[in-house]
Amino acid sequence: MTLAWFLQNLLNGLSMGSVYAIFALGYTLVFSILGIINFAHGAVFTLGAYLTYLLSVGQFGINGLLAGWQLPFTLPFPLALLAGAGLSGLAGMAVERLAFKPLRARQADALLALVSSLGVALILVNLIQYLFGAEIYSYPSDVLGSLPPAFIFKVGGKPVAVRTVQIVLFVVSLVMLAALAWFIHGTKAGKALRATAENQDTASLLGINVDAFILGTFFVSGLLGGLSGTLIGVSFGLSGPYFGVAYGLKALAVIVLGGLGSIPGAVLGGLVIGLGEAFLPPDLSSYKEAVAYALLFVILLVRPQGLLGGTTEQKV
Amino acid sequence: MLALDDVTLAYGPVVAVEGVSLTVEQGEIVTLIGANGAGKTTILRAVSRLIKPRKGSVAFMGRDLAGLTPDKVVRLGLAHSPEGRQVLARLSVLENLELGAYVRSDAAGVAEDLERMFGLFPRLRERQRQAAGTLSGGEQQMLAIARALMSRPRLLLLDEPSLGLAPIIVEEIFEIITALNREGTTILLVEQNAHLAMQAAHRAYVLEAGRLVVSGDARALMDDERVKRAYLG
Repeated sequence: MTLAWFLQNLLNGLSMGSVYAIFALGYTLVFSILGIINFAHGAVFTLGAYLTYLLSVGQFGINGLLAGWQLPFTLPFPLALLAGAGLSGLAGMAVERLAFKPLRARQADALLALVSSLGVALILVNLIQYLFGAEIYSYPSDVLGSLPPAFIFKVGGKPVAVRTVQIVLFVVSLVMLAALAWFIHGTKAGKALRATAENQDTASLLGINVDAFILGTFFVSGLLGGLSGTLIGVSFGLSGPYFGVAYGLKALAVIVLGGLGSIPGAVLGGLVIGLGEAFLPPDLSSYKEAVAYALLFVILLVRPQGLLGGTTEQKV
Repeated sequence: MLALDDVTLAYGPVVAVEGVSLTVEQGEIVTLIGANGAGKTTILRAVSRLIKPRKGSVAFMGRDLAGLTPDKVVRLGLAHSPEGRQVLARLSVLENLELGAYVRSDAAGVAEDLERMFGLFPRLRERQRQAAGTLSGGEQQMLAIARALMSRPRLLLLDEPSLGLAPIIVEEIFEIITALNREGTTILLVEQNAHLAMQAAHRAYVLEAGRLVVSGDARALMDDERVKRAYLG
């Protein structure tokens, strides 16, 4: 229980927690507008990770339809990250048009979109498996170029190591959070988005193109999903087409823990779960995946509305 | 300016309004009166395209509105202050007003109109930083009207501006409505308070169970037996 031990776990926890936060925000944004969970979010996470991998490494391995196929170009990692995130945003828009809009246009029960988004998720994941196979992919060690793999400093004579990837995770997530906060609270479009989240009829009577804002929200949500997939992928590798599903469930725990529909809640929930996992004693590390749900269980016993969920649900 | 021709409106299988034709000319206050459930609000919702007519056409400024979404109709110069006030409760009073001018890009004109609204409704100025949901009913009604005016509409649709308000505030709101009209805003007013509405309006349409039963000069209709019997008591 030294200071170095504490700092090390704190850094690990903040880095992972910040990614959980932006991933969970993708759920929160859609929930704010449509009042429903987009179950395809985890699949878009996988898609983003695979696209960025393809764009930066140039090829996938031995299985799948595209085995041995080589992309005619590769991009440096930062560019591949941006391109992968942008394409994931487009995938998010496709999810809206395929799974959500047709049901909305028919004024179907909003809950039905849960099922249709789950369907789109299955199609996406299976398409990825069909194309790229089901094996694990890891980024080459020089993915971040000439940057050293880690920075080590000493605290009270003990070493604390920060992997460069962890810094990337934290900085990218922080930039996304700041950009999102600025957009929602500092721009005219953000104001219109908050109006749309509160009441779509009223928003449209003010001249706000509600359909365009819904589509835009799915773009941002998909972008956050693809970005988080890439960040987790570059940190731990891509453990198969289904790895987004496991993280997707964890991010659901994050938003419920933080308070459904609350943006600060998603951020706080992400950090709480990230830190909870980091501070798990080493001899319990095989239970790491259970931490999120254990925390969720305990917190919901005390605060059923989540950490920052109000009695009247707070949106956007 | 506004023309409904043989409009039939329905929610699913339930027909709410049948075969209604009405017009609003430039510079008029026209009121649509009728008992609760007669279809008044439904007609306004059809004009701003929140619902699509099952039959018939709605034209604004000589343009058929078929196929347009509500936000496009706002851009043609129509503002709708909906029933039940419908302020954006979690946004501040100021943000509500600013969103009223969402379709405008003339910042100077918007700032000027904001001042004008604060002049008309001084209480909104005092409470501009407050969340709109914390306002009293009368203040929310004022905010809903002011917000609709922020788009500088050619035609203003007002749905039940007196609903649930104290008589003194109702009087204040109707004074503002007639003042706005004198300044050139055309108004289609839906009211349950028929007496008040007919005093303010030039012309009136009386709706009963989804059909127009009488229409004509508002002052003349006040003495009409059928209107008296049905709505004025």
